[in-house]
Amino acid sequence: MSLIAEVLKELVGMFVGDARLSAAVLAVVAVSAVVADGTQLDPLVGGGILLVGCLLLVVESARRHARRVAQR
Amino acid sequence: MIAWSTAAPAVGAAFLASLVEVVEAFTIVLAVATLRGWRPAALGTATALAVLGAIVLALGPLLGRVPLGLLQLVIGVLLLLFGIGWLRKAALRAAGVIPLHDEDAIFARETAELDAEARRRHASLAWLAGLTAFKAVLLEGLEVVFIVVAVGAGRGLLLPAGAGALGACLLVLAVGAAVHRPLARVPENTLKFGVGVMLSSFGVFWTGEGLGAAWPGGDLALPLFALLFLGAGLTAVAVARRALPEAA
Repeated sequence: MSLIAEVLKELVGMFVGDARLSAAVLAVVAVSAVVADGTQLDPLVGGGILLVGCLLLVVESARRHARRVAQR
Repeated sequence: MIAWSTAAPAVGAAFLASLVEVVEAFTIVLAVATLRGWRPAALGTATALAVLGAIVLALGPLLGRVPLGLLQLVIGVLLLLFGIGWLRKAALRAAGVIPLHDEDAIFARETAELDAEARRRHASLAWLAGLTAFKAVLLEGLEVVFIVVAVGAGRGLLLPAGAGALGACLLVLAVGAAVHRPLARVPENTLKFGVGVMLSSFGVFWTGEGLGAAWPGGDLALPLFALLFLGAGLTAVAVARRALPEAA
């Protein structure tokens, strides 16, 4: 039983290592999906938002984590 | 015929990501073998590989039934979650915010823990050793399976990506058999950084295609995305280094 729990925990941990980062990634995907699918704009605009949003997330989440560690 | 420009990123990503995972599994299997001999280590490893094979055989055919757009979207989002997480962690390690992964330390800790566990539970050390090897190979192997499926399924590249992963396994086994100690000199964080860059690029590419975006240049957009994520990762390292003294 504990083995199955460990496997499930590992699987969840693969994608949700940091809950805030995962939520932010999903939010960027959601905004991109709305732009690509729910507006008159070219879906490529949604793709561009996805790309830029993810690039910014990498930098911002590292900065935020570093500041948190330094303030401890 | 699969174009080299299409297959190379998938094979490269699967090879490098698998290299990282297999090195981690190898450290634990070696700890088991050192403490209790190769028999339980090999048995645990072989059983885990059989379970992984069964998972692939059971789930593999289902992938063909999922519409391509949906498959790209789901796998793309999972790749983004996985890849950006790896890239961020590698950037934080490179910046000195969190400690580097140390295979020698993990080897020593795993050996001590296994020994203590056997004493505490009065259980057979061989059984615990086999179970430890099984868990290590299964858990790291699940990540390898996901990566192979994720970078290969969207373009029918499962076999080349699988070959990349197999190549990594064989390389680690060959080097591990030769040196007979944890592969602590593998530049694991640099590899993780590179893999995070590649998986994030694949994630944006598949998710965008799943949302209907036709990327300019088709597959050639992937190397451009990789360059952009490399830049973002390096910027993250610099920003995290600067944030440390600022906040202290």
